[in-house]
Amino acid sequence: MRRKKVSQYTEEFEAPKSQRRLSVSSVLVHIALILLALIVISPLIIPFFFTFKTPLEFAYNPWGLPEKLRWSNFEQAWKMVRIGEGLRNSLQVCIGAVLFTVPPAAMAGYIFAFYRSRVTNVLFYVVMAGFFVPVHMVLIPLYQFSTKIGITNTFPGVFLPIAAFGIPFWTIIYRSFYSGLPKDMVEAGRIDGAGHFTVFMRIIFPMAKPATVLAVLLSFMGGWSDFIIGLIMLSSQSKFTMQLRISQFIGNLGANYFPQYAAGVIISSLPTIILYLIFHKYIIQGTTLAGAIKG
Amino acid sequence: MAVAQTAKRKKKRDWYRLGFIALFLLPALAILGTFMFYPIKETFRLSFMRSSGFGEEIYVGWRNYQRIFASPEFRQGFVNVFKWAFWSVAIQIPLAFFIAFTCVNFRTRIIGRLRGVYYLSNVLPSAITAMLGVFIFSPTSGVIKTFAKTTGWKWLESIDWLGNPKLAFWSLFALATWAYIGFGIIYLMANIEQIPTEIREAALIDGATQWQYAWRVVIPYVSYAIRVQAILATVGSIKLFDLPYMVTLGGPRNATVTLGITLYREAFLNWQYGRGAAIGVVIFLICLVITIFQFSFVNDHSATDHSI
Repeated sequence: MRRKKVSQYTEEFEAPKSQRRLSVSSVLVHIALILLALIVISPLIIPFFFTFKTPLEFAYNPWGLPEKLRWSNFEQAWKMVRIGEGLRNSLQVCIGAVLFTVPPAAMAGYIFAFYRSRVTNVLFYVVMAGFFVPVHMVLIPLYQFSTKIGITNTFPGVFLPIAAFGIPFWTIIYRSFYSGLPKDMVEAGRIDGAGHFTVFMRIIFPMAKPATVLAVLLSFMGGWSDFIIGLIMLSSQSKFTMQLRISQFIGNLGANYFPQYAAGVIISSLPTIILYLIFHKYIIQGTTLAGAIKG
Repeated sequence: MAVAQTAKRKKKRDWYRLGFIALFLLPALAILGTFMFYPIKETFRLSFMRSSGFGEEIYVGWRNYQRIFASPEFRQGFVNVFKWAFWSVAIQIPLAFFIAFTCVNFRTRIIGRLRGVYYLSNVLPSAITAMLGVFIFSPTSGVIKTFAKTTGWKWLESIDWLGNPKLAFWSLFALATWAYIGFGIIYLMANIEQIPTEIREAALIDGATQWQYAWRVVIPYVSYAIRVQAILATVGSIKLFDLPYMVTLGGPRNATVTLGITLYREAFLNWQYGRGAAIGVVIFLICLVITIFQFSFVNDHSATDHSI
C-alpha cells in the first residue's frame, strides 16, 4: 500500500523519467542478486552433474547428462565416510549438547531475571563474560583434565564443553525473555501459594516456549557443527562425529575419484540442508539475536 | 505480634529462597566453572610452564612467549589473521550491505525467494564448507579445473589454487566469504528493516535516488550495526581455525597458517603445552582488547541501536 503511495507521488512530479531510471536499476539489481544467489547455491548443485558418472564418463563429458543414474558412487561414499556411524555419534553429541545447555540456561536465566540482588547480578556478569571467551583459550587444559578424569574419547567429553560455550548466550536470552514477561504472573502464582519451583515449572518455563524452541534447535545445530572440540577429544574412529568423518574423507580421498567425492559432498551436506529447509525461520531468528547480543 | 510473626516467617522463607537460588544456578555454574573458567585459569598458568603433558612442569617465566614471538610460523599466523580481518571488513561488509539493502528495498517476488538462499551457506558446518572448497579448487579434477579442461583455457588450467602460496590465502578467503557472508546479510537486513517507511518515503519524495537514499540515510542509520559487523569479522578472523586446517593444513609453506593452527600444532602435534597455552593467551588477549574497544562505543551509540 505504501509503495503505491510513493509511485503516486513520483508520477505527479516527473513520472516517465524517474520510472525508467528506477526500472533500469531494478533490472541491474535483479541480475546482480540472481548471480550472487547462483554463486551461493552452485557448489551444492554442481556435484549432481558429476556424481552419477564413472571416472571415464566424467573425464570425457563432465557437464552433460549422465548415461544413466548410477548409485554405486553413493554407496561407496556412504561406506567410506561411514555415515551411519557418524550420524549416530553426532546425534548423541547433539542430544547431550541440548540437554546440558538448555535446562541449565533456562534455570539460571530465571534466577537472573526474577531474583535480582547484588550477588546474582555479579554472577550474571560472570556468566555473560563466558560469551566472549574464544575456545582456543581452554583447549589444552580441557584435554589435560579430561584425560585425568577419563572423559576423553567419550561423548560427554565433547558435549559438556560445547554446552559450556552455549550456556552464556542462552542464559542471556532466557533472562531477557523472562524480563519481558508480566511480573504479575509470578506474584499471582506466589499469592496462590505456589513455591519457587512450581512457579517456574507451571508458569514461567511454559511461557518461554519460543525461547526454548530456539535454544533447542540452535544448540542442536551447535553440537552438529562442532569440529575443534571433537578433534581434540575423540581419538578412536568408531567415536568420530560426522564433521570429523567428513574432514577425514577430504584428506583420504582427495579428489582422485571425483564422482565419488561429489557423492560424498551431497550425502554430507544433506542433513544440514534438510534441517535448514524445515527450520530456516527459527535459525535466522536465532542468528539475528546472536548479532544483537554481540553488539 | 503479627509483625513479628511475618518477620519470622520471612526469615525462614529466605533460607528456602537462597537454597532455591543456589540450586537453580548450580547446573550452569558447575558446567561453566569446570569446562570454561577452570581451563582459562589453567591456560594462564601453563603458559609460564614447560610442560609436555607427562612428567613434571617447570616454571620458565616469559620464555614461552619469547619463543612463540620468535617463531616465524607464529609470526606468519599473526600476519595472516590480521590480513584476513582487514579484507573481511573491506570486502564482506560492503557486499553484505549491498545484498541486504537491495533485498529490503526492491521487494519483488523473485528477490523475496532469493533471501533464504543467501543464508544457506552460513548454516553448513565448516567441514562441509572445507569439502566444497576442495571440490572447487582441487588441482586434479576440481570444478575449476574441469571447467578449464572443457573450455580449453590453458591459463586457467595451469592455476594451482591451493598449492601456490600466493594464491592459497585468497582461495581460502573466497571460500570463507562464501560461507560467512550470510550472517552479515541477515544481521544488516534485520537492522535495515527497522528503518521506518516514512523516512524512506520522505527521502524518495524529496527526489533522492535509491543509491542516494542508501548512502545518505541507510548507512548512517545502520552505522552501529556495520561497526558491530566489523568487530565480529575481526574477532572471527583471529579465531580462524577450521577452514584452513581442513583445506590446506596451514600450508603451502605456512601461507594459510593461523594463530589457531599454530596453537594446535604446538600443543597437539609437538606436545609443547606451555607454548600452546601461551598462544591461547595471546588469542584471548587480542579478543579481549577488541571486545573492550567494542563496549566503549556501545555506550555512545546505544541510542541508535535498533536491533535489541
